[in-house]
Amino acid sequence: MNLKNTWWKILGVVMMIYVILAGFLIPMKAGIISVSPSYIQSGKVVSLKVDAYNSNFDKEPNLRAWLKFDSLHYLAANKISVSDYNSATIDFDLRTTLPGTDTMSSVSLIIDSEIDGYSLLPGAISVENNFEEGARAFVNTPLSNMHSWTGIKFPFRNILYETIRNTFFHVAIWMALFLLSTIAAIYSALYLLKPHVLEYDYKAYSYTAISLVYGLLGLATGAVWARFTWGAYWTNDVRLNMAAVSVMIYFAYFILRGTLTDQDKSKRFAASFNIFAYLAMIPLLLVIPRLTDSLHPGVGGNPAFAGEDLDNTLRMVFYPAIISLILIGAWIAQLRTRVFRIEEKQLLAEAK
Amino acid sequence: MNKYFGSRKKMVTFELRNKLMIRRALTLLFLVSNYSIASAQGGEDFIRSTGKIYAVVAVVLVLFIGIIIYLFRLERKIKNLENYNNEQ
Repeated sequence: MNLKNTWWKILGVVMMIYVILAGFLIPMKAGIISVSPSYIQSGKVVSLKVDAYNSNFDKEPNLRAWLKFDSLHYLAANKISVSDYNSATIDFDLRTTLPGTDTMSSVSLIIDSEIDGYSLLPGAISVENNFEEGARAFVNTPLSNMHSWTGIKFPFRNILYETIRNTFFHVAIWMALFLLSTIAAIYSALYLLKPHVLEYDYKAYSYTAISLVYGLLGLATGAVWARFTWGAYWTNDVRLNMAAVSVMIYFAYFILRGTLTDQDKSKRFAASFNIFAYLAMIPLLLVIPRLTDSLHPGVGGNPAFAGEDLDNTLRMVFYPAIISLILIGAWIAQLRTRVFRIEEKQLLAEAK
Repeated sequence: MNKYFGSRKKMVTFELRNKLMIRRALTLLFLVSNYSIASAQGGEDFIRSTGKIYAVVAVVLVLFIGIIIYLFRLERKIKNLENYNNEQ
């Protein structure tokens, strides 16, 4: 085995093993899954049944909870009775007037624990304001001494739960695709500049082939992820449809190569079509979805991975995932090139 | 041309096997997802249990199966080249 030519393949495989192990074994932070009832009226003591995820309610002696009305108004819990590690009943005294004059307000629930750090369920319940004569004035009990988890754990996101780990596979494969199709477009451009170097054409073809495979896998993995978070395999999300269009353009590249019989013309036409497909992919995947509403994160002009969506723990696995998928893709493209080279040589030999 | 693509019979059997494999993989995926839809009415199903971790397993399986299918197609091409070389 020639280490000079294989080190990057080994690196790709080792990184993929790391991604699968770290991606599956690093635990999730604690979070709140649901609160019932989701609709309450003020004017009485309400008890909320809370279902949490990955929490240690039973081990935590100092569990605290708040209802958050807005960024200035909080109401601390009266009593917390823990049923087990992931569920508790929390009582709030709402025999008061409520901050604000709205009849309905959406209230978030915050739970703070020394072991798990704090967790928040935004818009957990709707509170209807029952204005009562002689009700006690609202007493603000602000958050104090909050704990946050500082170790290595993936962030908890509602609805997503553990599927946030799909970032390392679904999102990473699209990122890898961008680089592989860029390489393909560069080889196509090089072939147009120097049509006598057939090697450029072989490489452009192979990298486009692996890009198409990655595109199809990106759509398939996205469909599976969507089924269990958004509720359907395919939604009318702009990014989905644009990605499908982009993949179809790449399909056209292979149909084109298959139908044109004149080898020389076919190669040149395919090279220019490949550059077109690449240039079409940029607005289709990177620009249009950001201008419209989308279920994907990163809409309305924001970059997708700013802020909370991709925290440092996710990055620790996400970047190696991209690199390993690129390396494995390049490996497969190299194999395809080698096969293609022999095929072409045989065709030439037969033509003689 | 026929020579180059190997003998017709061999190609057909190889293609058939490939197609069968792809069909089996797709059926398996379909069954798994259908199972989860069927049991979704009864509250928590298998794929959604344990914080939907099996949705991640399904995604990794899709990736793995997809790459394996591509490798099988590549192997078919290599097989054709081998057949051609042996017939020479």
